[in-house]
Amino acid sequence: MAPDRQPPEGAARIGGVAEADLVAQTLSGDRAAFGVLVERYAAQARRVARAVLGDPDEADDAAQDGFLSALVKLAQFDARRPFGPWLMRIVANAATDRRRRRQVRRAEALDAGLVGGGPRPDADAVRSELADHLRAALAELPPRRRTAVVLFDVEGYSHAEIAGILGIPEGTVRSEVFHARRRLRALLADWKGA
Amino acid sequence: MTDERMFDHRPDPDLGAALRRALEPENQAGFVARVLARYDAALEASSVPTWEVLAAWSRRGIAVAAAAAVLAGFLLGRALRAPEAPATFDAAFAPTGGPGLAALVTAADPPDASVAFASLVEPR
Repeated sequence: MAPDRQPPEGAARIGGVAEADLVAQTLSGDRAAFGVLVERYAAQARRVARAVLGDPDEADDAAQDGFLSALVKLAQFDARRPFGPWLMRIVANAATDRRRRRQVRRAEALDAGLVGGGPRPDADAVRSELADHLRAALAELPPRRRTAVVLFDVEGYSHAEIAGILGIPEGTVRSEVFHARRRLRALLADWKGA
Repeated sequence: MTDERMFDHRPDPDLGAALRRALEPENQAGFVARVLARYDAALEASSVPTWEVLAAWSRRGIAVAAAAAVLAGFLLGRALRAPEAPATFDAAFAPTGGPGLAALVTAADPPDASVAFASLVEPR
């Protein structure tokens, strides 16, 4: 059986020692240290938030909320543990909260935002057709399922870490990743075969 | 595609790369700048209230002190205007005018009714 722990390649994982130092410096009021943490995790946080929310602008707002919320809670962070899963849990929660508020505000007309990403002409111009199809396929998945598959296949977190981030059992994570992969891989295969 | 592959415990590089491209955010520097701007704003917001709170408290303190001074002045003035309480029991019953209580009690003739009532209703 393959090891459950994911390799760090392509997963934007950061070394533990430097992180602990950055966290300590941030706690002592070092703005630059906080800036380095934000730079390192910005892309990951934005992707995870987008997996939850769909709309890129709203996802950015949620990711920002997540960073600020993490800053407020930073004293509670156990520096012996990896920073990424802890931060991603906060970001995912911030995005989920936004999603709930959005659902309260309006009866959701599916996730149209995932398909086109909202009115951003500068960004839309460079998006590939495959990316559009993948976003559309992601939008059809339940939020927890697409977040799980993004955390696993894009960010490289283990099932156990994703269970901690999403607050669900590890077995549920495996199931969510399985079902998401089945849908997305079928789409990818169709695309390659076309 | 088999179910075994679906349950693979390693990330799928092809799917991962495609998803990453689909979700890749733009303008990373702008995002970081916005987060740091919010960091600065939060710091500023957390320091400004110190002065505002102190100022609010000082304004409130001055108002309360003024009200207390007015109240104290009113009470003091009232206390100074009030007649002094008699020092002894005899002084309290001493006549303030007329024949007095002793004269009424020891007189052979009954007192005039108006005098008796006057002794009851007359303020001391």
